[in-house]
Amino acid sequence: MRTLTGITLLKTHTLVGALEILSTLDKVQPIAGGTDLIPLIREVESKSTHFIDIYSIKELNGIYEESDSIIIGSTTTHSQLLSSKTVSEKIPALHDACSLIGSIQIRNRGTIGGNLCNASPAADSAPPLLVHDAEVNVSSLSKNQWMPLEEFFKGPKISALKSDELLIGIKVPISGNGCSAFKRIGRRKSFTLSIVNAAAFVERDGDSIKNLRLSIGSVAPTPLRMKKVEKEFIGSKLNHQTLTEIGQACSGQVNPIDDVRGTAEYRRDISSVLIKRALIEAWSRTGGK
Amino acid sequence: MIFELNGVNVIAELTTTVTLLDLLRTDFGLTSVKKGCEQGECGACTVLLDGMPVCSCLVLAPQVEGKRVTTIEGLSENPLMKELRDAFMENGAVQCGFCTPGMLLSSFALLRDNRHPTEDEVKVAIEGNICRCTGYVKIIEAILDAAEKISPD
Ligand SMILES: Cc1cc2nc3c(=O)[nH]c(=O)nc-3n(C[C@H](O)[C@H](O)[C@H](O)COP(=O)(O)OP(=O)(O)OC[C@H]3O[C@@H](n4cnc5c(N)ncnc54)[C@H](O)[C@@H]3O)c2cc1C
Ligand code: FES
Ligand code: FES
Repeated sequence: MRTLTGITLLKTHTLVGALEILSTLDKVQPIAGGTDLIPLIREVESKSTHFIDIYSIKELNGIYEESDSIIIGSTTTHSQLLSSKTVSEKIPALHDACSLIGSIQIRNRGTIGGNLCNASPAADSAPPLLVHDAEVNVSSLSKNQWMPLEEFFKGPKISALKSDELLIGIKVPISGNGCSAFKRIGRRKSFTLSIVNAAAFVERDGDSIKNLRLSIGSVAPTPLRMKKVEKEFIGSKLNHQTLTEIGQACSGQVNPIDDVRGTAEYRRDISSVLIKRALIEAWSRTGGK
Repeated sequence: MIFELNGVNVIAELTTTVTLLDLLRTDFGLTSVKKGCEQGECGACTVLLDGMPVCSCLVLAPQVEGKRVTTIEGLSENPLMKELRDAFMENGAVQCGFCTPGMLLSSFALLRDNRHPTEDEVKVAIEGNICRCTGYVKIIEAILDAAEKISPD
């Protein structure tokens, strides 16, 4: 039997309790589903000596529909999101992403908050939430603030969280009659980190693009929004030519690296393919051809 | 710490932090729960946590306090599990057997919630369970077979 060296698990059932522990103890890190953290603490000597289990805090779990937005608690699992009708109807790209994450075992345990806080450039829930203009609530004992998800990602594996803060929840505005979709390429279907992933949100006016938001992951230190490209093509008609142009424009905006999962050149090419696929799917979900 | 293990409330003395996988194998002697990759990739360590398949190598033992943990031992008399076990044997879905407890638990959870799965649904259900021996075809056939037997229409 292997002991996980020097690790203790602290428990609390309230959010305030967790925030108090985070603000008073040194070297303490939240753990939710543990699907990112536990493999990590086996590999490297973890810098934390205490983990605080936030999985059993009821206030942090659930999907709530409000008049103008959907609130998702940070410990909501990928399985919960996948079976939510609210999510499949109002945030279809997130539903797509959850269906592709890991395996059932991973989806039953892994949480949306853990996926974002781990801040992997390949996190599959990031592009869907970015194209839905999601905000995240970050709190400590003394402060509670909403920030755009885009500002939450600071670098590879670096988020805006300070050591005494928790990600409480995610707010997704319900936006008009637009639709979204998510596509990814991984080594095997599902069950591995994406080599590249992409999401598109589009509102349609006849055959013209009324509103457009695009995001690509795993092609830069953080998941990216393609704001320049979006601006350029709002108002255009969507046809084969504009699709090709949007794909090309996006691959011009990305800044990928070579790694074991794929080369930079491959990533640049595939990001154009994936963003087109996501856009076509989102467009057809709005009823467009 | 108290939790429910295969239908019985048990006490675990946790002096150090270990994974649920190590706790089950070492303290409770449940060696049907296999230790493979310890990375969440192979599914050999699958158990049901409050009824849902999870990798026990990715759960810290203290996290199951007050929860329900089920391994194949706890389902030995369960009619659905018996049907699955028979179907695995009849279809030659077992070779070395290392993946089998995990496969059985994943397919048990599937058939419990969905009595008429499609082949694709079966594939999704066992996506997290790696088998080095059988090439999956016979496992998928066995699960579909068991599904037919439990609701023959
Ligand atoms: C086999 C396998 C396959 C996987 N496949 C995919 C995949 O296809 N796509 C994908 O995107 N990911 C994948 N992952 C990665 C992982 O499962 C997800 O990122 C998951 O959502 C992480 O959530 P968690 O609750 O398990 O996080 P944890 O491991 O509990 O935590 C991750 C990090 O976030 C911090 N944290 C968690 N919650 C909070 C919070 N509320 N506030 C502040 N900090 C917090 C923790 O301190 C830690 O640093 C896979 C992992 C495995 C093992
Ligand atoms: S040992 Fe847990 S998934 Fe491989
Ligand atoms: S039978 Fe050997 S791993 Fe599946």
